[in-house]
Amino acid sequence: MVIPVGDYRKALNPAEIASKRKPAAAAGPGSAPEGLWPGGSSGIISNGVKLKYLLIALIIIGLGIGTSLTLFQSEEKRVKKHFRLLSEGVSKEPGENIFTMDQKIKKIGSLFDETCEMNVPAHSLSGMLTRDEITGYAARGRLHFSQLHLKFYDFKITLPQEGIANVHLTARVTGKTRAGEAVNEAHELDCLLKKAEKKWLFSHIKVVEVLKK
Amino acid sequence: MVVNKKIRRFFFPSLTPAFLIRAGCIALIAYLVFGHLLTPFRIKGHSMEPAYRDGEFNFCWRFQYFFSKPKKGDVVVIRFAGQRVSLLKRVVALEGEEVEFRNGRLFTNSKEMNEPYIHTPYDWNLSPRQVESDSIYVVGDNRSGPIQNHFFGQTSLKRVLGSPLW
Repeated sequence: MVIPVGDYRKALNPAEIASKRKPAAAAGPGSAPEGLWPGGSSGIISNGVKLKYLLIALIIIGLGIGTSLTLFQSEEKRVKKHFRLLSEGVSKEPGENIFTMDQKIKKIGSLFDETCEMNVPAHSLSGMLTRDEITGYAARGRLHFSQLHLKFYDFKITLPQEGIANVHLTARVTGKTRAGEAVNEAHELDCLLKKAEKKWLFSHIKVVEVLKK
Repeated sequence: MVVNKKIRRFFFPSLTPAFLIRAGCIALIAYLVFGHLLTPFRIKGHSMEPAYRDGEFNFCWRFQYFFSKPKKGDVVVIRFAGQRVSLLKRVVALEGEEVEFRNGRLFTNSKEMNEPYIHTPYDWNLSPRQVESDSIYVVGDNRSGPIQNHFFGQTSLKRVLGSPLW
């Protein structure tokens, strides 16, 4: 078939569907302009509607990502959360009441395995300790402070096998003793956590000895 | 007016591609220099007085021990906890050497060490011990107070970050 050079548009558009370049020519008087919605300017969807739907889509995608991240946490995040809970349990604000103290001590106990190996030579704490012993030690330790904050950072988490997490991190203790002495200590820790009934528990905590006398 | 315009242009430059490229290059160089080459730090504590005082500002020259090992008498920056906490100490013994404190005097390989940087007398006593391989023995210059209250001892060479710039 030979298409005449001067009439190529007709050949490509034999049904004479409205051309985008000349909408007025295609639409009759009083009829809606081209497009899917009346009142649209150029294009299939008007700019205002387009932006509105784009924003809604972005919000839905954002909510979806946020929800999936919250619901399906990675194991690393769960391990980090465990340290955050320990930090919350140990930390103490001035004028803490007995009820809060009791709650926090119980919380600390629930984070540890039935027995946990501790190596904290700076505080003369070493050996296998039961959950109750750890709770008692934490309660006595907190009593010495009027204000106490424990923070963890520089996490290096490895999961060598299912249900076991090795964590290398830095712990910083800041606060004030009841005698008014300021405390600011930082230590590097090696921790081993074991998973029991879908819950991570501290099984071994060791302070890395940087300077050996 | 011209000066005002110049000042305004200096503080609020127009975001041209050339300006953004320049700013990006400066940020990258600053990150490399101050993040990996000359790390800034502030001294907290009195363990290295009088050479380094509490609150002083300095830089850690990270390439100092890139091709060599620390020598006796060098002041080194040691990574203590994570990436944020470091110690500033003086090297007093190297691997394989024996260290001992006797009545406030330091002995290495049974020879008394000359320590001109010590300005306050101290009375430490510590039985002889050998420095392990790939380790150095570090102590602070300020040895006043009981030995138990001080951070010192042998540490791995891997923990040495560099030396203070001045």
